[in-house]
Amino acid sequence: MTHKVKHTIDNPSQIHAMLIDGVITPCQALAMFSELDTHKIPLGRSNEEESLEDIMKELDQLIGLSKVKDLVKEIQAFAQIQKKRQEAKLLTEPQVLHMIFKGNPGTGKTTVARLLGKMFKHMGILQRGHTVEVERADLVGEYIGHTAQKTRDQIKKALGGILFIDEAYSLGRGGEKDFGKEAIDTLVKAMEDYKDNLIVILAGYKDEMERFLQINPGLRSRFPIQIEFNDYSVNELMQIANMMVEKRQYKFSPEALIKFETILQNRKNDINYDKLGNARLVRNMIEKALRRQALRLVNQKVISREDLLQIKPEDISEV
Amino acid sequence: MKQCTIIGKTNVGKTLFLINFAEYLGLKSLDINFAFNEGSEKFKNFSCKNAISNLVDENPHKTRCIQSMTLDFPMGKGKKKIKLVDTAGFIDGIHPDLEVRKAISQTLSIIRDSDIILHIIDAYAAKKQDLPSSMGEVDYQIAQFAQLKRGYAILANKMDLAGAEEGLKKIKEEFSGHVIFPISALYKRGFKEVKTFVARNI
Repeated sequence: MTHKVKHTIDNPSQIHAMLIDGVITPCQALAMFSELDTHKIPLGRSNEEESLEDIMKELDQLIGLSKVKDLVKEIQAFAQIQKKRQEAKLLTEPQVLHMIFKGNPGTGKTTVARLLGKMFKHMGILQRGHTVEVERADLVGEYIGHTAQKTRDQIKKALGGILFIDEAYSLGRGGEKDFGKEAIDTLVKAMEDYKDNLIVILAGYKDEMERFLQINPGLRSRFPIQIEFNDYSVNELMQIANMMVEKRQYKFSPEALIKFETILQNRKNDINYDKLGNARLVRNMIEKALRRQALRLVNQKVISREDLLQIKPEDISEV
Repeated sequence: MKQCTIIGKTNVGKTLFLINFAEYLGLKSLDINFAFNEGSEKFKNFSCKNAISNLVDENPHKTRCIQSMTLDFPMGKGKKKIKLVDTAGFIDGIHPDLEVRKAISQTLSIIRDSDIILHIIDAYAAKKQDLPSSMGEVDYQIAQFAQLKRGYAILANKMDLAGAEEGLKKIKEEFSGHVIFPISALYKRGFKEVKTFVARNI
């Protein structure tokens, strides 16, 4: 019995109550307190923290992104071998893992960055594995000298994890006098200073990132890993849509599926597709559909379980 | 203010140690605060002699509340305030009396908040099985728990009694790796070492 109790106890008052009620001996109570106090931190975490396998599974479930998956496997293998080398007293070199993600919005850049953070923590590459997501406004200040401080603050927040700079190319616009340059300089210095404990990821549209790197030629060599996130095909988008819907415990009726696909096909030719498209468009469309489904059902007198589950063609509309 | 707590099984001499140790540290009279488990508190002033006759006897579970006092602990040339806390004794099994169980629960929460723990074991009873103060499972559990604290020492009490030497040997065997001081709370023997230990940990 003690064994069973031990693992469900997480606050001291429970132990006190059991002791007073005469359920456990002082001895058992003390043992529980020792357990509680020794494992306070690990116990609290282990419940919410996923294992490396869970995260890998999560990554594998992402549609497409084969390059990212390959890269992760490479890095993981390298980290393991480094550990082995260390045990064998051979020279080990910390990897430079700063990255550039190029791709349109909704192609999975942020999602991948967050997963990488968690993964690197498990592999022992990063201490904390959190992701700090920033954009130009978080780094660049209004006055001279302001920028370096602001950028350093963000870097400090990201230590032990990943600093993810979205639309990073915007740091390079505005020419010589723009404070964006100061932010880049500060960043480059921090990348050297904290190379063991910080990973910087620059993300943005492909063309604009290319231009940005051309203007700042020194940057390219500091970001050895460059990954292109290609637009999803309609087929892939449909897979994503199905996954999202399943995750939320809904399902498409067959007609709804067809309508969804037609809309995606039409949007693909849209002039603004690269700004609004891809997985984000799918997510927005699904959320809209869920709201419309609710609206359709709310006045219905009898609502069956099937009604609650199903998304019909009339629920689907363009965003 | 650092808190120094005296714990151990019932009838090992915790309260006697508290009073005599306080006297050894130079207190003429004791302002003892009694904290009861239902939340009320009471202050009472005793002379050392009076305190012993009022608070100590040979029946187990004489102490059923938290008895504490604040005192100036001499340290080198200066002094530092500490809180000396006496607690209700532990037993190995489940006590039939609700009041005692409440007192033990109160003791446990005090221990968790303490900086220094003086764990008293009856050296005289260490080799015997049948006395309420005989060394038991709960003593090992205390040691296990208290080693998380910075200052944890075992006081082998009743060294004035015949046969206590043997008990001390056993305690040293069982609790090797821990700090152990042989003392006699009744005759104030071994107090100097305890004082140095406490001083080092506040």
